[in-house]
Amino acid sequence: MSQLATFIAEKRQQKPILSMTHVVYGYPSVEQSLSWMERLMQEGVDFIEVQFPFSDPVADGPSIVAACHKALEQKLDVETCLSQLGKLAKNFPNSRIVLMSYLNPMYRFGLDKLAKRAAEENILGLILPDLPIEQATTYQAACKANNIDPVWLVTPVTPPDRLAMLASQASGFLYCVARSGVTGHSVHENKSHERKTKQTSLDDYLTQIKQHASAPMGVGFGLRERAQIEQLIGKADIAILGSALLDAYNKGGQEAGVKLIKDLFQH
Amino acid sequence: MQSENGFYGQYGGSYIPEILYSSQQQILQAFEEVKNDPEFLAELNQQWQQFSGRPTPLTFCANLTEHFGGAQIYLKREDLNHSGAHKMNNVIGQGLLVKRMGKKRVIAETGAGQHGIATALVAARLGLECTIYMGAKDIERQYPNVFWMKQLGATVVPVTTGAQTLRDALDEALRDWSSSHEESHYLIGTSCGCAPFPEMVAYFQSVIGNEVREQSVAQFGQFPDRLYACVGGGSNACGLFLPFLDDIEVEMVGVEAGGKGLELGEHSIRLSHNLGQPGIAQGFATMFLQDDAGQLQETHSIAAGLDYVGVSPIIAHLAETGRINMTYAMDDDVIAACTLLLKKEGIIPALESSHALAGAFKDAPNLPKDSKIVINLSGRGDKDIFNVAKAVQDETFPQFLTDYLAAYPTNHADNEEENA
Repeated sequence: MSQLATFIAEKRQQKPILSMTHVVYGYPSVEQSLSWMERLMQEGVDFIEVQFPFSDPVADGPSIVAACHKALEQKLDVETCLSQLGKLAKNFPNSRIVLMSYLNPMYRFGLDKLAKRAAEENILGLILPDLPIEQATTYQAACKANNIDPVWLVTPVTPPDRLAMLASQASGFLYCVARSGVTGHSVHENKSHERKTKQTSLDDYLTQIKQHASAPMGVGFGLRERAQIEQLIGKADIAILGSALLDAYNKGGQEAGVKLIKDLFQH
Repeated sequence: MQSENGFYGQYGGSYIPEILYSSQQQILQAFEEVKNDPEFLAELNQQWQQFSGRPTPLTFCANLTEHFGGAQIYLKREDLNHSGAHKMNNVIGQGLLVKRMGKKRVIAETGAGQHGIATALVAARLGLECTIYMGAKDIERQYPNVFWMKQLGATVVPVTTGAQTLRDALDEALRDWSSSHEESHYLIGTSCGCAPFPEMVAYFQSVIGNEVREQSVAQFGQFPDRLYACVGGGSNACGLFLPFLDDIEVEMVGVEAGGKGLELGEHSIRLSHNLGQPGIAQGFATMFLQDDAGQLQETHSIAAGLDYVGVSPIIAHLAETGRINMTYAMDDDVIAACTLLLKKEGIIPALESSHALAGAFKDAPNLPKDSKIVINLSGRGDKDIFNVAKAVQDETFPQFLTDYLAAYPTNHADNEEENA
């Protein structure tokens, strides 16, 4: 069984839902982002999703885009990032780190090398939102060889047969995107008619995924309130907190971020 | 050019967020259908003719030919399209596709604003809602185009992230599409992006080369010996070149923007001199200008339509296999070529197209007198009036602007409202 799935299953014995908190590596500086990750793990979050910045993050909304661009004002290096994350991971054996980025910086680094180095640093999952499963044969093989998991995304508009295929391929956990659009509060929300299909069917959507997925399920995109987390209990394993946490951090630093997590997850 | 599952050699493909999968499949399917639908093709040809003024002429340039004393120089007059550029060919095609798919809204990115205007024109004609993403810096540089887009009823959204140019506008258009995919079509302006966009845009633009095939035989009894086109995203080059792909005696030259120099950030040369590197971003694999860590970099050209960070996967593949020869033209050479065409032939070229002129003018004197070259004059230059005035250091232009501003009414609440 996947290391990641095993970890999740064990943790779920103690908690109704696990927390995954997102941090942009290098924002506002490398040191500050590492300090923020450390604090989050001290506070007992179950996972950190570390985003290695890319200049053109097309699946992200304004908060994360701005943080990535700010982070890229300094030169960031994948290898350095991985070894720094590895050190952190060692100090907090009760939490896990997964790495998220876009394909290009990882492609330039080398996907084989990425899988190998991530495994060496105990980073058990990789999320690349712009790498569709159809183009991912070698990446999948590299992850498998190193016993880590590629994390696939499904969305409310994924066709049923494709959803079944993606869910059956999921090993560590399946990332269930809660709604259309990009991460966080989006400037595009008003134009979107996502609301028609959105909240009413979230339960159905998760139930449908569960029929096909043996892997644990994580839900993200647009989570900001305790009620949303409660809605997920019993239907998903992990609630993923991204832009909302970044917005809180931007407003009031680590303290505001920690307060949000306590409010949402009531650790 | 047919792709293999969306790929052209190692370039192309589909690297998009999962949320866009269904919309992309819908476009793939719709495009496959219309390619073989005589009714759609008849409508397309009618719109090309009656709305955009096709076919565009192939113009012999006697004075330029004499001036260089080498090859006989012909221009394919895409500048005579409605809206003043080849962009119209694609926008008409995709516009009809949007109607067929039953979508109500189009999203587009634009750099110089030519594609934005073309999209706004067609959206107005077809009764579609229209949102144009444009980098805030490009809006500053190309305000006249923004003005017309707004007058045509489009919403122009300034993009303030990153370098605030075309690349950022494209990112933002993709983000909008991720939110609005069910009722909106992303009407991409060049032969880039995820499959089937490169193939589809190239397909609609191939009307350029198809016309040249007929016109060249009719006017000088053979296919051209050489073809020249500027390469930004690559759509006008695809349009001229692809119909001649199998005619191996026809040589093809693509001209990129050399800008101010060969330092990173000063140019937009992706396909020669080892300046670009293979990468995967904005939905597809191609040669990008990027640093060692895979971060996309800033570019420069005097022509806002040529400063894209990537390039059509079709052109990247044909350059790699040697079917197309790639060269570049520096900003200064471009202005000189533009000026020469004005003086010798009475034609005002866009600065983008002036790159193709500059590339061809370099070769023309050394080519045999009986050889025939066709340069794609992809757009007209009226839009460049401010930039060309500055480049040729026109003495009276600043005075004109000062006087104009002095007489301009200061109460312009209408515009403010639209910007809000």
